[in-house]
Amino acid sequence: MKSVTQLGRWFVPAVAALVLGCGAEDSGEVEEVIDNTAEVEAAYAADPDYYSFKTIDDLPDDLVWERGGDIPEMGSPEANKGGTEYIALTDFPRTLRHMGPDSNGSFRPYLLDDMAVGLVGVHPDTNEYFPGLADEWAIDRDNTTVYFRLDPNARWSDGVPVTSDDFMFLFWLSRSDYIRAPYRTNWVNTQYSNITRYDERTLSITVVVDKPDFETRAFLDPAPRHFYSEVGDDFVERYQWRYVPTTGPYILKEGDLDKGRNIVLTRNKDWWAKDKKHFRYRFNPDRLHFNIIRDTAKRFEAFKRGDIDQMRMQLSEYWYEKLPDSDPDVQAGYIAKSFFYNRHPRPPYGLWMNTAKPLLDDRNIRLGIQHASNWQLVIDQYFRGDAERLDTPQKDYPGFDHPTIEAREYDIEKAQEYFAAAGFDERGPDGILTNAAGEKLALTLSTGYESLSDVMTILKQEAEKAGLELRLEILDGTTGWKKVQEKKHEIHLVAFGRFAAMYPRYWEHYHSENAYDKAFLEDGSINPERQLKPQTNNLESIAIPEVDALIETYRASTDREEMEQISHRLLEILHEHASYVPGYYQPWIRIAHWRWLRYPDFFNHKQISLPTETWVHWIDTDLKEEVQAARKSGQTFPPMLNTYDQWKEQSE
Amino acid sequence: MFDLNPQTVKKLRRFRNVRRGYYSFLFLLGLALVMVLGELVVNNRALIVSYEGELFFPTYTEFHPGTDFGFDYDYEVNYRDLETRFEQTQSDNWVLMPLVPYSPYENHAPGGIFKPLPPDLDAQHYLGTDTTSRDILARLFYGTRIALIFALGFMLAVYIIGIAIGCSMGYIGGAFDLFFQRVIEIWSNIPFLYMVIIIFSVIPAAFSVPTRIIILLLVMVLFSWTGMTYYMRTETYKEKSRDYVSAARIIGASDTRIVFRHILPNVLSTLVTFMPFTVVGAVTAITALDYLGFGLPPPTPSLGELLKQGAANLRTAPWIVISAFTTLTLLLTLITFIGEAVRESFDPKTYSVYR
Repeated sequence: MKSVTQLGRWFVPAVAALVLGCGAEDSGEVEEVIDNTAEVEAAYAADPDYYSFKTIDDLPDDLVWERGGDIPEMGSPEANKGGTEYIALTDFPRTLRHMGPDSNGSFRPYLLDDMAVGLVGVHPDTNEYFPGLADEWAIDRDNTTVYFRLDPNARWSDGVPVTSDDFMFLFWLSRSDYIRAPYRTNWVNTQYSNITRYDERTLSITVVVDKPDFETRAFLDPAPRHFYSEVGDDFVERYQWRYVPTTGPYILKEGDLDKGRNIVLTRNKDWWAKDKKHFRYRFNPDRLHFNIIRDTAKRFEAFKRGDIDQMRMQLSEYWYEKLPDSDPDVQAGYIAKSFFYNRHPRPPYGLWMNTAKPLLDDRNIRLGIQHASNWQLVIDQYFRGDAERLDTPQKDYPGFDHPTIEAREYDIEKAQEYFAAAGFDERGPDGILTNAAGEKLALTLSTGYESLSDVMTILKQEAEKAGLELRLEILDGTTGWKKVQEKKHEIHLVAFGRFAAMYPRYWEHYHSENAYDKAFLEDGSINPERQLKPQTNNLESIAIPEVDALIETYRASTDREEMEQISHRLLEILHEHASYVPGYYQPWIRIAHWRWLRYPDFFNHKQISLPTETWVHWIDTDLKEEVQAARKSGQTFPPMLNTYDQWKEQSE
Repeated sequence: MFDLNPQTVKKLRRFRNVRRGYYSFLFLLGLALVMVLGELVVNNRALIVSYEGELFFPTYTEFHPGTDFGFDYDYEVNYRDLETRFEQTQSDNWVLMPLVPYSPYENHAPGGIFKPLPPDLDAQHYLGTDTTSRDILARLFYGTRIALIFALGFMLAVYIIGIAIGCSMGYIGGAFDLFFQRVIEIWSNIPFLYMVIIIFSVIPAAFSVPTRIIILLLVMVLFSWTGMTYYMRTETYKEKSRDYVSAARIIGASDTRIVFRHILPNVLSTLVTFMPFTVVGAVTAITALDYLGFGLPPPTPSLGELLKQGAANLRTAPWIVISAFTTLTLLLTLITFIGEAVRESFDPKTYSVYR
């Protein structure tokens, strides 16, 4: 039977495409009509422990309801609505789905992550909670359950009210095989144990693991039940280009998606949360116009022409040379340059060594590489001092990061001592170390960041002084990522995006379960037939029983202090293991924006990774006209070169 | 000595009379000579070091650790520093550096920051530096050398395969010819660029840079030899039906002798006229691939990579694109001039009465 439905899944869209030519958007009309109501209800009924239906009288009486009292409002009251913001995307989104294959692209923040209103918001300055879809919530710490009362005004962008059923359905959808998102399905299966509907507006969500901040895991974005009634075997194709109704402020109107070219999102003037505290001063532009510009240099030229409104200037090359403070447009005050210190867990840029590879399985070689990597030179000469040396991969998780560990310094002599201890003590005719067998000390250094290719050549040149040859492999992003996911790398330069979270995660990077299939035998000895496990984030192929045990205690722990101690211990072990060379981090964000794109006086909130993600900026349409007229007439404004250091780390 | 065919002598004389092509040829020949000995002209290793009464010629020898010349480090000695030190200490020691004292790989940032520097005679960066402070002249020089060697290797390989298969098709004919024609038709329809990109993306970087360059060369040859076979096939067919071939066959000459002694020399003029244009094609192709990032593996110096850098820094560092573009244009123009001269002097219409 399975093969028939499989065939049908491919056949139906194919026929639809033939009949309609390329008008795949309307293909729903010829597709077989699915109504999954019965299926969903059967699934609810089949698993009453997970999906519970109760009445409002069953609600515990002793709950303490919170309403997110008096916390500073997000955004600025000065902000006014209107105008169009022009934004450049590096690639056209591959789908409009929120889940399933290809859905995790760079456009998703505009569809969901930055836009949708979740149950409860977390304030980026103080980590306090404020109401979102839920008016009130109650945290039951003993049962790791959070209760929510939905805002009666909460609406989907198509006008349908948001109800408890949409959350119930979120769980069904996330757990179904149709969405073909095994990671998500696994996450929902292992992290949540129950959702209960009390009435249309009242629900509770139970989280499995008790963590100091367990409640944040219950702050979910719902899935519109009415929209997903056709979810079935062909979900991925059927919903590929269907715009999902949102609880957020921007909607995609009919005809505003020109495939491969541009997309326009329009502000919903009747948005239910438009007057709500923490939302009313954000999401200000009337329209968001997205163009595709793949190349950074071209994106900059487009920005300089005024075709896009703002651009990140993280690279020194752009900040100092392509748009120096002395640039005529900056001096005339048309373009503003803003330098903002943020606080956010830092992406751990550094060298990840695959310890399963020959040579790299030798700790002496790894230590040698640590001392042969001249990050300080990269920071001083390439970043022009605009970066700091990273000491551990968990920078800016206050309390969890290790207070004293320091990255190993560049030291040719120490590096050579370690290489000699591993048998590489003779310099060959080209200056590269060789061992007694005549083997050269040569390793591949790869990366998926083309923008960091200069950093790679510097590291290579400096490593050569210590007698280490690094063979560079600079790949495009997707290929580079594929390489490390298949664990084919030797040394790879990469960073992981970090979420604003209370504590770092260790399991994905350091647990043996993510290094090998069955790393150890029953008696604890190393399994001689173990195979590297692809598609995990354990890039160093670390499999240490002690680390495994610590990570397991850490994951099960509910005590912040204990977790911090374990985190320190883990970082010590990993530092001794020496398979990760900490690179650099930049404790700030810098962007350039046209004068008419305005940010609040405080610029932005504390814990952000991108200045645009909070949507506190706005387009001053009058000013835009003024600036454009001034550019023609040559009239100038006072230059805007601002540094916002209110969140700067004191020790710096 | 060479016993040149009077016909050939005549052709060569005609070539010399095409002034533009002939001078281009001489210029390129001179350039090629300089490039063969490039390490003596553009290098960060000294030509001669006189240290403590002893002479060193480090250019082609094993590397000298700094300790050899009284520095305290044991990686390769920096000869420019050595020169400054000798000058400052007023000793009898001296260093003779090449004209351009930089290697194409080293980052030399006088200001301590890696950024493009405009041409600077005092620093001996005659064409400035690129985005990671590498000397542009050194990179252009070695980039051109690699491109030319690559193009010559490409031409040789393509000709050997093209001639062998094209000639066999024409000479053997029949089913063999039919079969290979179909093979070539199919083969030449495989998009070359995609194949290079696909194949090159699966080559592991664990191979050394020269190996990867050779693999790239082989891949390009694999998809480029077909063009040559068409000409060879028709030419061989034509010559095969000539009386002199029949005569040779009647007196009992073997197939090998007929092909190598009779047919090949007679089709040579066609081949020769194509050669410069094949070289131009190869240089263009490798530059284009480098520009797209699928060519020579980094940090190999290359014209395409410089052009790419130049395009990205058009506003802030125009000297990168100017020097790379000028070099490329000059090189291709020279070769094209030679090609035109060869074509003109080998043109059979001006001297042949047989046709």
